[in-house]
Amino acid sequence: MSKLALTLTINGERHEILTEPHRTLLDVLRADLGLTGTKENCLEAECGVCTVLLDGAAVNACILLAAQCQGRAVLTIEGLARHGDLHPLQRAFIDHGAVQCGYCIPGMILSAQAYLQEHPSPTEDDVRAALAGNLCRCTGYQKIAEAVLAVARDRSARR
Amino acid sequence: MSFEYHEPTSLAEAVALGARFGDDGQFLAGGTDLIIQMHRGKLRPRHVVSLHRVSGLDAIDANGAVHVGALVTHRALERFPAFRGPLRALVEGAEVVGGHQVRNVGTVGGNIVNASPAADVVPVLLTLDASVTCLSPGGERTLRLEDFLIGSGRTARRPDELLTGVRFAGLAPQSATAFLKAGRRRAMEISVVCVAGRLTLDASGERCLEARIALGAVAPRTLRAHEAERFLEHRALTAETLREAAELAVAACQPISDVRASARYRRLLVETLVPRVLARCVERVREQAS
Repeated sequence: MSKLALTLTINGERHEILTEPHRTLLDVLRADLGLTGTKENCLEAECGVCTVLLDGAAVNACILLAAQCQGRAVLTIEGLARHGDLHPLQRAFIDHGAVQCGYCIPGMILSAQAYLQEHPSPTEDDVRAALAGNLCRCTGYQKIAEAVLAVARDRSARR
Repeated sequence: MSFEYHEPTSLAEAVALGARFGDDGQFLAGGTDLIIQMHRGKLRPRHVVSLHRVSGLDAIDANGAVHVGALVTHRALERFPAFRGPLRALVEGAEVVGGHQVRNVGTVGGNIVNASPAADVVPVLLTLDASVTCLSPGGERTLRLEDFLIGSGRTARRPDELLTGVRFAGLAPQSATAFLKAGRRRAMEISVVCVAGRLTLDASGERCLEARIALGAVAPRTLRAHEAERFLEHRALTAETLREAAELAVAACQPISDVRASARYRRLLVETLVPRVLARCVERVREQAS
């Protein structure tokens, strides 16, 4: 089986990747690049733990072939903090006690990030709907919603 | 999962590859169904022909008749400004498909070709009398969506054909659409039953001129409730009329019992949702008129 030569921009850095066509973006991120912040679980786009941003839009990396990402920009949880400073969403999740086992959190934060980019002043219902594709098996949704809302409020206050 | 991957850059090239591989090949659009089927081993194509470099299939044209390209995502459907009025059911169907992650990627063409009886946008398209366009090296053919859907996962698409888009006429004045879905929770749910409706009323807003009702997840394919539609036409839309139409719609169903619901429960849902969808259409026509 011939391999494909792909160029992906991951967290702002260009990567040349040689991979088989059947491998998903999730395979490449975790196994080839060691970016294990993006989690693996259902592999059927049901749970959202593998959520990354592809050109700014939330996608399930588990059902996206790496080949479909050729030439595109991928943001994973590892790319969110800048110069060692946590992203406001990361900070808020910690401050609000929104992290229990932690497994769903990278996906939650990236879904929230994509959503807040387009909807700066959501209601709690909006936030819950925006995170519907991300399951928290600890069922810690209340504090997760509160953390996302706090970031939105904080940003509006600064504007 | 092992296959050869192809990335045609034109429609002609894509169709030529599709025809060459026939049953050994699969077109890849968003992949939100295909890749899962391949992971499960249900589909084992030897060739995957990705469509993401083919341009011209991801546009919506709503000047007059509406054309939705096969690669239009559910997200694009949800956000299309011209669908916020009488065609709102398209938005209502699109916005309950999976989570944001799936809607950002999954396409209307994929949803149609996948032919799940529980598809959410398909019943809405059926109420719009939509037709689909299929392209092969031999040329193009247009089929009514209702004829295109044959059974669960089965369509009239030939192995050498690519579905390029779906088309329907703009709505007549005094028309509205609505879509409702029943599931065990509000999001990330495969429909237990879904119902789409379209009504065109007379100038007074009391009498029905044309009715369309489509039902999802109650038969091997998404169904039109033809008898219920015929019953409604030229009648005044009282609560009693809507209830009688609902009974005719129930009679059109052949639901199964499965992990999501019993056949009996599905019939009860149809009985409840059909009048609700129709009442919503009536309400919307009157709102638009005022």
